[in-house]
Amino acid sequence: MNVIHITDLEKIYRTEEVETVALNKISFEIKEGEFVAIMGPSGCGKSTLLNILGLLDDLDGGSFKFNEVEVSGFNERKRADMRKHNIGFVFQSFNLIDELTVFENVELPLIYTGIATAERKRMVDEVLDKIQIAHRRNHYPQQLSGGQQQRVAVARAVVNKPKLILADEPTGNLDSRNGNDVMQLLTDLNEQGTTIIMVTHSEHDSRYTHRIINMLDGQIVTQNIKI
Amino acid sequence: MFKNYFKIAIRNLWKNKIFSAINIIGLSMGMAVCIIIILFVQYEKNFDCMHKKNIYRLDEVQSWEGMVEPQQVALSMPPMGPSLKNDYPQVKNYTRIFPLEMTGLAYNNKKVFLKTVFCTDPTFFDLFDFKLLRGNQKTVLTQPNSVVLTEENAVKLFGTEDPIGKSVSTHNSKDTLHFTVTGIMENVPENSHLQFNGLYSLSSRFKHGEDKEWGSNYMVTYLELSNDANAKLLESKFPAFLKKYMGDDITKGYKLFLQPLNKIHSASANITHDYYNYKKFDETYTNIFFVIALIVLVIACVNFINLSTARSARRSKEVGIKKAIGVSRYQLIFQFLGESVFLSFISMTLAIILVKVFLPFVNNLSSYCLTFSFLKSPFLLLQIFFATILIGAISGLYPAFYLSSFKPIKVLKGITSKGKNKSFGRNALVIGQFASATFLVIATIFVVQQLSFIRNKDTGFNKDHVLIISGAYKNYQKLKTSLKESPLIKGVTGSSQRLGNNFHQGGVNFKGTGPVKNCASSFVFVDDDFISLYRMKMIVGKNFTEQGNGKEYIVNESLAKELLKDEPNKSYESLIGKKFWENNEDTLSTLVGVVKDFNFNSLHNKIETLCLVNNKKSGFHDVSVKIDGTKTKETIDFIGTTYKTIIPNFP
Repeated sequence: MNVIHITDLEKIYRTEEVETVALNKISFEIKEGEFVAIMGPSGCGKSTLLNILGLLDDLDGGSFKFNEVEVSGFNERKRADMRKHNIGFVFQSFNLIDELTVFENVELPLIYTGIATAERKRMVDEVLDKIQIAHRRNHYPQQLSGGQQQRVAVARAVVNKPKLILADEPTGNLDSRNGNDVMQLLTDLNEQGTTIIMVTHSEHDSRYTHRIINMLDGQIVTQNIKI
Repeated sequence: MFKNYFKIAIRNLWKNKIFSAINIIGLSMGMAVCIIIILFVQYEKNFDCMHKKNIYRLDEVQSWEGMVEPQQVALSMPPMGPSLKNDYPQVKNYTRIFPLEMTGLAYNNKKVFLKTVFCTDPTFFDLFDFKLLRGNQKTVLTQPNSVVLTEENAVKLFGTEDPIGKSVSTHNSKDTLHFTVTGIMENVPENSHLQFNGLYSLSSRFKHGEDKEWGSNYMVTYLELSNDANAKLLESKFPAFLKKYMGDDITKGYKLFLQPLNKIHSASANITHDYYNYKKFDETYTNIFFVIALIVLVIACVNFINLSTARSARRSKEVGIKKAIGVSRYQLIFQFLGESVFLSFISMTLAIILVKVFLPFVNNLSSYCLTFSFLKSPFLLLQIFFATILIGAISGLYPAFYLSSFKPIKVLKGITSKGKNKSFGRNALVIGQFASATFLVIATIFVVQQLSFIRNKDTGFNKDHVLIISGAYKNYQKLKTSLKESPLIKGVTGSSQRLGNNFHQGGVNFKGTGPVKNCASSFVFVDDDFISLYRMKMIVGKNFTEQGNGKEYIVNESLAKELLKDEPNKSYESLIGKKFWENNEDTLSTLVGVVKDFNFNSLHNKIETLCLVNNKKSGFHDVSVKIDGTKTKETIDFIGTTYKTIIPNFP
């Protein structure tokens, strides 16, 4: 089954004077259980693509099926609902809420999906155990190292058991050891069945994936399927 | 979810302590100021609200020859009330008030001092809803020499004894009188324009039908109209009414009008001789105060909005994350609005504490007694509750919409810059806030100038270090002699009324070279050293002399001009030595001088015509004592003991 199926996707940024084509008729599909890297120089449109895939931004043309459902006409509310149940995000700069503890940060997506307190606790504990950060559950993000913070961010992304994880340069702010840890974590998750799309500059990180989509000037240049 | 909102809100507040403190204190100060002003406005608007009947006060407009301008007075003639009731079916009832000041009442060895007592009709309690605690509402004031005391004074005088039926005595200038206590009423509420300590039956004072005579205005008449009565229509019948009872001439000088009870306190700024109108305050100013309260609150809210919005960058990450995990914009708006309402509640709590702490100071400063007992009044509590939610919601609206509009990807990548059009809202708020603050500062400067005008206005006399004591009458001369023995006292003089009190008015007659001239003027009986003690300036003629008692008159400039109206070429000197009298022609009384105009009434009024009469036959009500300003306490103690030895009947 295709998690993502886009055809002739277009995204155009308009200001008063200029029209910039960020994505120019892109088409590809991503199957369930795939681990895909999107690569390319800065400004090639990969972040724009990630936003659209994450339903954070709308498209200007073409078709976008998420989980076989056409989502291009979705309004903000429907998109938010789709995100809530199906997509987890991991960002380069971790983006944990400073006022919440590790436990509370990971719990956050569950609160908005309306899961009962006891069940929430069980789910959060389970995922914290899995990423081996349970001993830090009552600490605040500032008290953790970068690698630990990113692991908490990954925990938050997966706690809801989403179909798809979108990672935007997840190791960009980490040293190589912590970076490898995070990549290993993502690989493990992928092996357990989660589809992952990762935007990265790092050749090293891309080696963890099954497929690399190379982009340039809003278009896909190559799609390498690795063995 | 709420727990999460709450957690984030509290931790945010705690993390940015200084910011939170500034924001909360700013809003709470605005709220506190607003509450105090609104308490004042409510106090003003609730005047006389305890009376449920359709009551009007009968007022007059007087315009006689000799007056600088027509004047509205709160007085009326005694037979007006009864005759109106008789002639017009829409007048259901009336009650009249004739005030007495400074009355001592004695029972056995105990004594109370009643500042104000009203002689009034038996219908008093039918019109007014003052609560009668003891006694029969219909009969308490029917018999002559009946007295109704307020609870406070009844307790002072009788303690635990039952006062009903007990006899109390009082001294007037001549005799000792005996009254029977027929009723006890609750203390007069603070928000009543009528303030008094006791009521005498009118029949005790007017034993021989004096209250049936037309001509003199010395009573305050209240009318109860039927609920469907049209006051304007009734007023239109008054000229015919006056004509019927007083003849054609009088209608030129008199006009009657009705003033609704709930407007007496708030709309009597132009009414003079309004002796019994407690803390009279014009409603225009009350409304201005209300507007100021709103402006202060708006400034506080705008300040709150600006501070919250300015801090939005700190919350942008949270917005981005929440949007990314699928939280809808409405949920975010709800969260931020909730936070703002939460802050509003914290501020309101602080504001309530501030009001509780500062209200006594405000009361002390303004001599008002505003109360703030919200726990006793569920309605007020409810009002505060909803006002708090409203303030929170309004203040939170802009920050909530602004914050929730952040694009998640931008903020999560650390780009928070916003287009120019976004800051327009905040700029407008800052400008609005600045403008309102400037407006308030200008208003304050204006008020300060106005106050300094009142303080420094040349009233035409010098009142520095002058104390006034009341109730001397026949003991005046004795008191004056005793007081003058002390080196602490620089001067003593007496007058029938004090300066600033509306002087009584009547007709005066002048015989110059032409025919007798008759005109209306205020008049006051004074001692021969009145003018010198108050350092009033004589323009022509001489001051009063001790020998001239009862025969000398001094007029003010306004009256002098009035007397010379028909002979514009003559100077003030031409008036001196001419015959001048009030009631009965007295061949010996003459006009001896002209004094420069001084403000003997309120500063609101133009200076009216006035004649001063050198006459100490019956003693004086008010004694002005000029003291040495250096040893004030000692001097006041001395005056107190001297007064008590000479006039022991007066507390």
